[in-house]
Amino acid sequence: MSEPRTLLLELHCEEIPARFLRPLTDELEEKLAGFFKAQGLDLPSEDDNESTSFVQGLFSPRKLAWMVLNLPERQPDQTEVQVGPPQRMCVDEAGAPTQTGLKFAEKWGVPYSEVRFELPKGKKEPCAVLTLTRPGRPTVDLLAEALPRLIASLHVPKAMRWGNSDFEFVRPIRNILCLFGETVVPFELDGVKASDSTWGHRLHHREHPEPVLLLRPEYYESALEQAGVVASFDLRRERLAAELERLAAEAGGRVVEDEELLDTLALIVEVPHVVRGAFPESFLSLPKEVLVTSLKEHQKSFCVEDAEGRLLPLFLSAANRRDDPAGFVQAGNEWVLKARLYDARFFFAEDRKAPLESRLEKLKNLTFQQQLGSYFEKTERIMALTGPLAPRLGLEEALAREAARLCKADLRTLMVGEFPELQGIMGGEYLRHEGAPEAVWRAVKEHHRPAGAEDHIPATPLGGLLAAADKLDTVCGCFAVGIIPTGSKDPLALRRAGQGVVRIAWEQAWGISLSDLISAGMAVSASRATGEAAATKEALASFFQDRVAYQLEMAGFAGSVRRSALAVGWSDLVDLRARCEALSAFAEDARFASLAQSAKRIGNILKDEPPGPGLDPSALVAPEELALSARLAHLEATKDHPSLLSDLAELAGPLEAFFTAVMVKCEDAKLRDARLGLLRRLRETFLRVADFSLWQ
Amino acid sequence: MHIQDLILRLQAFFAERGCLIGQPYDIETGAGTMNPLTFFGVLGEKPWNVAYVEPSRRPADGRYGENPFRVYQHLQFQVILKPSPARVQDLYIESLSALGIDFSKHDLRFEEDNWESPTLGAWGVGWQVVLDGMEISQFTYFQQAGGINLKPVSAELTYGMERICMFLTGQDNIFDLVWGDVKTDLGTTPVTYGQVRQRHEYELSAYSFEHADLDFHWHLFNAHEKEGWRLLKDLGHFYSAYEQALKMSHTFNVLDARGAVSTTERPGIIKRVRDLACGCARAYLDFETAAPAGGAV
Repeated sequence: MSEPRTLLLELHCEEIPARFLRPLTDELEEKLAGFFKAQGLDLPSEDDNESTSFVQGLFSPRKLAWMVLNLPERQPDQTEVQVGPPQRMCVDEAGAPTQTGLKFAEKWGVPYSEVRFELPKGKKEPCAVLTLTRPGRPTVDLLAEALPRLIASLHVPKAMRWGNSDFEFVRPIRNILCLFGETVVPFELDGVKASDSTWGHRLHHREHPEPVLLLRPEYYESALEQAGVVASFDLRRERLAAELERLAAEAGGRVVEDEELLDTLALIVEVPHVVRGAFPESFLSLPKEVLVTSLKEHQKSFCVEDAEGRLLPLFLSAANRRDDPAGFVQAGNEWVLKARLYDARFFFAEDRKAPLESRLEKLKNLTFQQQLGSYFEKTERIMALTGPLAPRLGLEEALAREAARLCKADLRTLMVGEFPELQGIMGGEYLRHEGAPEAVWRAVKEHHRPAGAEDHIPATPLGGLLAAADKLDTVCGCFAVGIIPTGSKDPLALRRAGQGVVRIAWEQAWGISLSDLISAGMAVSASRATGEAAATKEALASFFQDRVAYQLEMAGFAGSVRRSALAVGWSDLVDLRARCEALSAFAEDARFASLAQSAKRIGNILKDEPPGPGLDPSALVAPEELALSARLAHLEATKDHPSLLSDLAELAGPLEAFFTAVMVKCEDAKLRDARLGLLRRLRETFLRVADFSLWQ
Repeated sequence: MHIQDLILRLQAFFAERGCLIGQPYDIETGAGTMNPLTFFGVLGEKPWNVAYVEPSRRPADGRYGENPFRVYQHLQFQVILKPSPARVQDLYIESLSALGIDFSKHDLRFEEDNWESPTLGAWGVGWQVVLDGMEISQFTYFQQAGGINLKPVSAELTYGMERICMFLTGQDNIFDLVWGDVKTDLGTTPVTYGQVRQRHEYELSAYSFEHADLDFHWHLFNAHEKEGWRLLKDLGHFYSAYEQALKMSHTFNVLDARGAVSTTERPGIIKRVRDLACGCARAYLDFETAAPAGGAV
């Protein structure tokens, strides 16, 4: 076989939406790998059984490209087995071939002598069998046949048509480059013929009208770089990040980091270049969040802050060209940003002309969810939740109600209309300007937190209460009207909301159980409920148990700790956390094995026992069981989990003595009940911490 | 570069490249797409290239002539190319060069922005075109209009004329733009956008936000709907019925700016406009099929 070669396929399109670049590249990568495998083109390497050919995807705004290394020039010869009619029909009594037998050989174009008889899998009698060898085909032919089909099979969520064709793709395909080694793979897709050339950066070709010719696939990235395109996403991202950092440092600040924004920029430019611009200092009077959001959402720009986190009147934007020779790019961005900030300042000023509470009335015709009513009604439910919960968390009830009353009012402000991601934040800012109590404006400002797993929970206790109450109402209300997440379906992000409730209660160490919270949440939406209360409660309990399990995982507890601790209680988070911490610590202790052993011994003997009467200590007689009973009294008086675990580990000796000395299931019914009762009480002591039978 | 120079240059550019030069419609529209030259032009199979400027009214965007960037009515330059040509992006870039934009010094991006008009039952995919960080155009491949799948597909280019003019002249205030020069025996006087438009902006903003009579507008909305369906159903007249749909759309926009439409009512109201517009589109196609040489656009 001759030398393996490299394959390069590039679809050059009109600008592909940033969000589809990676998924489309990955999908064809997978499909190509599957195709090569099916065609026997994935050469095994000499050292191991791994395939040496692999597909590397590259994407930039106008290009989806795949590079495949080490593809053989020709497919290995292919053998296939054909099963024909049963032997009895192919051979007559004298052993000579029948008409049927001869026809079978003829059908596959081989002499009858190649037919053999054996019992194929799944058949009940021997049949005529042929092993056929097809010579392997040239890889280039296989590719020419398969590529149009594979490309057309890509899953495009928002497909479009163009011109006068029925062909659908993510954006019009304007050029196809496809080289196998130095050979063009000859195929056509919707009238576009594959060739050995492509196009570089749009603006590059205004000065160099010729296409970029490629002699070999290996030159792809360097040829494109010369034509103004950085083919690799990672490289574009890296260069952008470095340039952002450098330009911010030059201005005496640092970039207000935003990984998502950096990704976006690397997806929308063909060549990375960062432009630094300034905006009038007077705009710094706007809240920082407004500036950061406005710059990000409208201009895809980064803010720059000083060491104390104060913004500088600067921004950093990506341009889709290598330089800014006349300063037009910077000036243009500055001009637009000024217009945007002018708008933001207009909103900020307009919104403050009337107090925030004047928007409450307008919440009545803003629907939260059809069955759950308006935001006005949601506000009332949040108030009904926060009011009674506040004293239980040592918070002032009046403040909690006030924060709840105002927390959704900013949905009717101009600023939040423009930037929905500022909800809560603006309400807080406006209240601060109105002179509301600090606890209130802070709580409103942070009540949307945590926005996700990466985000912090509210920093203040009242903020935590308000945030949790809002989310609790959303979850319980939706469950009550039958909106319950299943599988990948969770359109209202209830899991995230539920996780937020658990995280806040966990991190702020609330002395209120989740069961209590569920009941409270159900009570405020009871008038809207469409389902059976008992069923809703059960669904909520199961839902929150899952959230708690995830919380334990996020907190870094080992699987054995999580399983065994959760099994004996999930609702009281403070206790759960203490148990998990004690278990994690004690799991390292040398005596842990003996504790687990004791739990197991007790568990085994009680395994098939029905529940019996309680322990009657007066019925116990043997010194060993009296000693064990004394231990029990001591264990039951031990309050904190670390001491309890330590004491439980000391139980092994007395337990051993007990089992050696007494026969638990003795003839005397009264004595047997007493002994079983003693063991049950001991088991309950273990179960105060965890179910050790789930420890692995 | 004055506002009127931009319009003249774009008209000349597209006329030279095989477009009819259309005229704005004389009924209130919110965008160039609503002009029958586009709404009906993109339907059916026959080739169709047209370009025109469309004064577009957006009552909720009114700022009493006080905001330097936002206005009640702005000028959209609209181009329809059917079927969308293979070189459509290059053609678009050339049109910007014709306005004097030198691409050896500017940054240009096409960022995903899909367009949808629920009142017209129309949607398409495309981009907002961003020049040096500013959105100057909307570029759309029409996939559906009047609820009908389009084949061939039209490319729609829309240019925000004031923005482009402000950008090219470095102006910070829309009302300071020069519309054009008036030359008389007394000499040459530059006339600003503000002189032409500012008082109009003030009055129409005040009307949309404060003075428009709600009962009157609800009455209009219902009456236009009734009239539209009568024309369409009884007579099969799609042009006159479509005018009623346009009037419904504008009336709705005024009511919306006055805050008279609740979020819950909104989708239902929009659907009433869409139903009539879609009915007109179907009637137009029926007419085209029956009389391919007929006078419809």
